[in-house]
Amino acid sequence: MSRYLFHRAWQSLLTLFLATVVVFLGVRALPGDPALALAGEDRSPAVLAAIRQEYGLDRSLPVQFWSFISNAVRGDLGTSIRTGIPVSSMLRTALPVTLELSVLAMLIAAVVGVGAGVVAAVRRGHLAEWFANALALIGLSVPHFWLGLVAILYLAVATGLFPASGFVPLLDDPIDNLHHIILPAVILGTGLSAVLMRQTRSSMLDSLSTDYVRTAKAKGLRPAVVVGRHALRNSLIVVVTIAGLQLGELLSGAVVTEQIFGLPGFGKMTIDAVFQRDYPVIQAVVLVTATAYITINFLVDLLYSVIDPRIRVGADAA
Amino acid sequence: MRGVALLCAALTAACSSVTPAAGGGADAATAPADSFGQPAAAGEVKQGGALVMALSAEPDQLDPTLSRSLYSRYVFSSMCEKLYDVDQQSKIVPQLATALPTVTDGGKTVTIPVRDGVKFADGTPFDASAVKSTFERNLTLKGSGRKSELGPIESVDAPSANTVVVHLKEPFAPLTAALADRAGMIMSPTATSALGDKFSTAPVCVGAFKLDKRVPQNSIDLVKDPNYYDAANVHLDSISYRIITDANIRAANLRSGDVQVADTLSPQGVPEVRADSSLTVLQSTSLGYQGVTFNVGNVDGVGKPAKPVDTPAAKDPRVRQAFEYAIDRAGLVKVVFNDLYATACSPIAPVSEFSSPASEVCKPHDPAKALQLLKDAGVQTPYPISMLVSNNPDSLRLAQALQSMVKEGGFDLQIKPVEYASLLDQQDRGDFELLQLGWSGRVDPDANITNFLGTGGSQNVAGFNDPALDSILTQARQSTDLAQRRDLYGQAVTKIQESDPLIYLYRQRNLTGVSNTVKGVQVFPDGVVRLAFAGLAK
Repeated sequence: MSRYLFHRAWQSLLTLFLATVVVFLGVRALPGDPALALAGEDRSPAVLAAIRQEYGLDRSLPVQFWSFISNAVRGDLGTSIRTGIPVSSMLRTALPVTLELSVLAMLIAAVVGVGAGVVAAVRRGHLAEWFANALALIGLSVPHFWLGLVAILYLAVATGLFPASGFVPLLDDPIDNLHHIILPAVILGTGLSAVLMRQTRSSMLDSLSTDYVRTAKAKGLRPAVVVGRHALRNSLIVVVTIAGLQLGELLSGAVVTEQIFGLPGFGKMTIDAVFQRDYPVIQAVVLVTATAYITINFLVDLLYSVIDPRIRVGADAA
Repeated sequence: MRGVALLCAALTAACSSVTPAAGGGADAATAPADSFGQPAAAGEVKQGGALVMALSAEPDQLDPTLSRSLYSRYVFSSMCEKLYDVDQQSKIVPQLATALPTVTDGGKTVTIPVRDGVKFADGTPFDASAVKSTFERNLTLKGSGRKSELGPIESVDAPSANTVVVHLKEPFAPLTAALADRAGMIMSPTATSALGDKFSTAPVCVGAFKLDKRVPQNSIDLVKDPNYYDAANVHLDSISYRIITDANIRAANLRSGDVQVADTLSPQGVPEVRADSSLTVLQSTSLGYQGVTFNVGNVDGVGKPAKPVDTPAAKDPRVRQAFEYAIDRAGLVKVVFNDLYATACSPIAPVSEFSSPASEVCKPHDPAKALQLLKDAGVQTPYPISMLVSNNPDSLRLAQALQSMVKEGGFDLQIKPVEYASLLDQQDRGDFELLQLGWSGRVDPDANITNFLGTGGSQNVAGFNDPALDSILTQARQSTDLAQRRDLYGQAVTKIQESDPLIYLYRQRNLTGVSNTVKGVQVFPDGVVRLAFAGLAK
């Protein structure tokens, strides 16, 4: 087991290193000079030279890479070229926003999607199914940015029910935080809720035609118990798997939603950094994302090996 | 139907069409008059309260020495006073200074009297030595964006607590105007020595407000500074600048009441904001310009000696003049910018005290003359020329309108849209034939011309080289006589228009939306939205 662990840890570190090299070279391959982007309107040679020197942009690529890696290992992700704020501090403010938005969107999508899916399956051929299907179609086909603009115009500008944009940290004021983030979360969750609705409906239809459901009905159980305790419970396995797979989609959708609602999240930070050629921020964002993915994969592999010992035997053989 | 109208307003880029205007040629300003806003009248506003302003871009470092973004000036205007300010007529007026500078020794010695009894937000006394230390920081700090603005300063003295003397190596008339911008913002010496180049983490100046907290890419919060010398006239408790980059979303926030002030409204969105009786639109014509620049000598990169570029447009001024005659500026402004911007033919804004009849001369829209000039230059029509342009919706609409317009004058304009950071890179490398870009503008014309068209200028991306123009610009820079400078800049404009390396097209208007629940918000030609003395209406 320890040999397997060591093998997987080594693989993960190597992957992380390669990801770091790719992003380091990738951002520098982008056309555009960060010193020019930062200099704004004052692009005198002295200012450009000072910027390049300050951020080490005048040094050779290997030196810049070593500086980035050695600092990152010590937990120093550098300073934003644009704002002069430490990148780690920017990440600390941005990550919770995106996480909260994504988790809330997932919850809303789960409640709406699974609920509508159950109704559509149980009330098959009725108006409710058509209604749920139509909603799912809209959810899948209408882009987030359009829905976001419509929501702002009708639910913020016209009625004033929600703020049009902005963010209040959860710990500062939980109620105000929810007031600000609920609308973006609903918009972000629409696509996923449509997917979950379709999936739940399909799984529920399968479950409802199985023998154990027929038996439950024959035992005289109430319809709600048959649907809730027997059919839905078994259908949820697939639904939960799909929901997990869609989490990545949710995070990429958050980029657009954060932009529209002015939420200071991870996605908005990434976009701004790319446009401003803010190398330290782009590098940090990719480093953090890659670390998260690699760590999750590592943990999943470990779980697999615990569940199925043949996996680590295979690794030992390798 | 109202919903459709609302959506169209929100998605103007999608809903508006680009149709070139036919005819026209008037080069006078076509847009309505400027409206700068009024100071809050006594008894009109309540004491206390919080104001939220939507900012169209995130300010960079909140350090007057290192700041490079125009948007940081918005925040600085509430927390960092300058030695001088500009008024509605773009005239320079004292702020932390008590009078305009006295210039002696043939323009080489500048004496600035400064206020007594003023304190920085951290309690440090403001005096001439604080001014001296700020000047020295601006001149010596690595990466200072102010060094070039301050000109050839040899030394700075503080002979008394309220007198600053600046010694120059040679006369430099634009100094006073520079001191009406970030170079004139005085920083607490206690804070600068404690924080060094990290001053932006806790900036301390003299101002109506001071920094409370900054959440990156989200907001900058200021609170009232009790140490401020004129605190009795400061009505608000706090100001929050919230970064909202999309113009439609900014307007939506203004209309929903989430923010009370929003800068840089989209010209297409202004009618919708004007239609709302609870809102007012302030507009002030920029001191800057938007134009198109020909690459006439930028082969090895900006700042390098000019070399010949082998295209008719680069070699023959008649081709460039033809391009100018083919442009209908009034039509352009009307079609692309809803008639809210003003046409421009020179780098000197009409509102500037340096404006003169010579600087206001403009080539009329005359496609027949354009065709004739191309013929005289021996160029086959349609003459193909590619234009580099930023890929944002406004620039693309402008490029498309130009494309249709100059066709009539014998040009086949090909549009090359690129992302802004790439555009800057390409323009500095000289990798373009024609490019569309502008300049936000400064009070002194020197900062609007010399760097852009003077030989070796740091932003002379055209690679333009004209010793006669250089001589005029140097004389204007060194003269301390306003009338003489005005005359010299008139001559400079004539020279520029003869060669046309840069064709000026229009001047943006700073369009600021303000809720009627707020009084005392003002925007002057420097484009900065002033909130320090605003208040919530009673």
